[in-house]
Amino acid sequence: MPGVILDGRQLSRDIRQELRERVTVLAAGAVVPKLAGIIVGDDAGSASYVRLKEKAAAEVGLLSEMCHLPQDYTQRDLLTRISELNRRADVHGIFVQLPLPPQFNESAVLTTISPAKDVDGFHPESVGRSWLGQESFVPATPAGIMEMLRRSGYGDLRHRHAVIVNVDNLVGKPLAALLCHESVSANITLCHPDTPCLADWTRQADLLVVAANRPRFITADMVKEGVIAVDFGTNYVEDTSAKQGYHLEGDIDFEPVREKAEAITPVPGGVGPMTVTMLLAHTVEAAERLAAVS
Amino acid sequence: MLVTTWNGGTMPAKIIDGRSIAAAIREELKGRMAALDGAVPGLAVLVMGDDPSAQSYLRGITRGCEAVGIYTETMRLPQDTTQKLLEDAISRLNSDTRFHGIILQLPLPEHLNSLRAQSAVSPDKDVDGTNPVSCGKLLLGEETFFPSTAYGVKELLVRSGHSPEGRHVVICGRSNIVGKPLAGILVQKRPGANATVTICHTGTRNLPEITRSADILVAAIGRPRAITADMVREGAVVVDVGVNQVEDAATGKPRLVGDVDFDAVAEKAVAVTPVPGGTGPVTTAMLLTNTVAAAEKLLAR
Repeated sequence: MPGVILDGRQLSRDIRQELRERVTVLAAGAVVPKLAGIIVGDDAGSASYVRLKEKAAAEVGLLSEMCHLPQDYTQRDLLTRISELNRRADVHGIFVQLPLPPQFNESAVLTTISPAKDVDGFHPESVGRSWLGQESFVPATPAGIMEMLRRSGYGDLRHRHAVIVNVDNLVGKPLAALLCHESVSANITLCHPDTPCLADWTRQADLLVVAANRPRFITADMVKEGVIAVDFGTNYVEDTSAKQGYHLEGDIDFEPVREKAEAITPVPGGVGPMTVTMLLAHTVEAAERLAAVS
Repeated sequence: MLVTTWNGGTMPAKIIDGRSIAAAIREELKGRMAALDGAVPGLAVLVMGDDPSAQSYLRGITRGCEAVGIYTETMRLPQDTTQKLLEDAISRLNSDTRFHGIILQLPLPEHLNSLRAQSAVSPDKDVDGTNPVSCGKLLLGEETFFPSTAYGVKELLVRSGHSPEGRHVVICGRSNIVGKPLAGILVQKRPGANATVTICHTGTRNLPEITRSADILVAAIGRPRAITADMVREGAVVVDVGVNQVEDAATGKPRLVGDVDFDAVAEKAVAVTPVPGGTGPVTTAMLLTNTVAAAEKLLAR
C-alpha cells in the first residue's frame, strides 16, 4: 500500500484555526499580536513572499507592519530601525527578509533582533538555546517539519534513525538540534548532498529529510521500506504542458518512493505551507509569553 | 588493523598520545604569547563547592596556565551560593581586565540555574563556549570559542593525521558540552571538518550497528567499557572522551578509565586514544588556546 501523504495544506489550516482561537483569547486581554517585517531592496521573490506572510497574518487575526526599504539603505539605519522595533511594546515578532543586498552584514543584522521577538529563530542566542534543549524560537522550516511529524503521529523517534541530507543553518543544523532533544531522541546523521555513497545513508533512514534542490535526487532504490520521507526541495522544472511553462517539484521521486514509504510529504503542499504558518505561530507564542509575564 | 612486523608478528593499533599533542599546542601558544606585546592573558576559574572529581582537571588547568605563562586565579564560592551571588561574581569577572577568559566549573549545584549562569558570562570571555550565544555561533559557523573538549577532539584527530574531512564520524553521547558541539564543529564546511556526522546515545537500540559504520568513533557516554570490540570496525579511529573512576581489580585502589574497552578495541582500531593521557590533556590545551585567542582579539580591537 502506498504511503500516507502528509498534507501540509490541511495541517496548516488546522493550525491556523487554532491560532485564530489563541489570538481571540489574547485579544480579550487587550493584546493583539503584531508581526513586523523588514524587506530591503527590489527582489521580486522576496517581495511576494513578504506579501504572503502579511496576508497569512491577517487571516489569523494578527496585526502586521511590513516595512519596505530602498536597495541602497544603510546597515546603520537598518540596525536603528530594528532597535526601535525591539523597544516597541506593541510589536511581538520581528523578521528581516533574507537575502539582504550585498552592503549588509546579515549576521550583525540578525543579531540585533531581540531574541524575545526573534520569530525566525536566526539569532545566535535562539540557535544556541535550541541546541541546548532550551525553549527558544527555531527557524520555520525545521519547526514546520517537527510540527507535521508530531501531528501525524511520528513525534516520538526513539531508537529511530533520522538522516538529514542538508547541513544548512536554515534546515539541517536546526532540525538536528530538535531531533536530538530528549523528547524525540532520534539517532541523527547529517549528510551533505555530495556525501560519497549517499544512498548507503539514506537507505538506513527511518526518517529521511531532504533539502538539496535537485529534482528526483532521491530515487526509490535509495530508501528503505517504511521510511517517513520529508521533502523540502524546491525545483522549478520546465514543463511545456504547464501554464507558466514549468512546474514545482521536490527532491524526491515522489510516486516510486511513496510506494515504499510509510508516509511522505508532497511538493507542493507539504512542508512549504507549514513554514509561513510557523512564523505566525511563533508570533502568537511571543505575544502569549509577554502577556504571561505582564 | 594489525600491522605485520618484521618478525611476522602483529602490532596493535597506534596509540594517539594526547600528552605530546598537548605539549606541542602549548609550545605554539608560547610563540603566540610572545607576540602579545607584553600583555598577559588571564583565565578566571569559578568553582562551586569542592567536588573531588573536578580537582585533577582544575589542577591540570592551573599547571597548563603556568607552563604557558597565562595568569590564572581559581575563585571558590561555597556550595550553597545563591544564584544572585554567582551572577554577581561572573559580572565582576566580565569587567575585570586581568581576565580574558572565564570558566564556570560544571555541573553547578542543583539549586542553581546553570543556563542563566552560563548566559551571564560575556561571550567575549566565554572560553568554554557554554553561553547559548557561543553555542549558536558555533552551529551557525560564525567565529566563536568552541567548548574545549569538543575542540580538543577535532584538534587531536587533525594533528594525529586522522582528519575527519569526508569521513563518517559517529558520536556516542549528545551532551551539551561534548556530543552536540562536536557535531556542530564537524559538519561545518571547513578544513578539518566537513564530515558526515551521526549522533547517537545510550538509548539507541541498534547502537553496535551504527558504531560499526564509523570511520571515526567518538565515545562520550560516561560508562566504563560501553564501547566493546564488536562495536568497532577494523581500521576505525577511536576517540575516548569518557572519564570514569573504577576500582582497580588488582590493587583495590581507584583508577581512571574511559568508555572504551581499550585493550580489545586497540586490536581492531587503526588508532585509539588512551584514558588517561588521551583527550584530557588536549582539552586543557584548547582551553589555554581559547584564552590566548581571547587576549589576541582584545588586543586587535
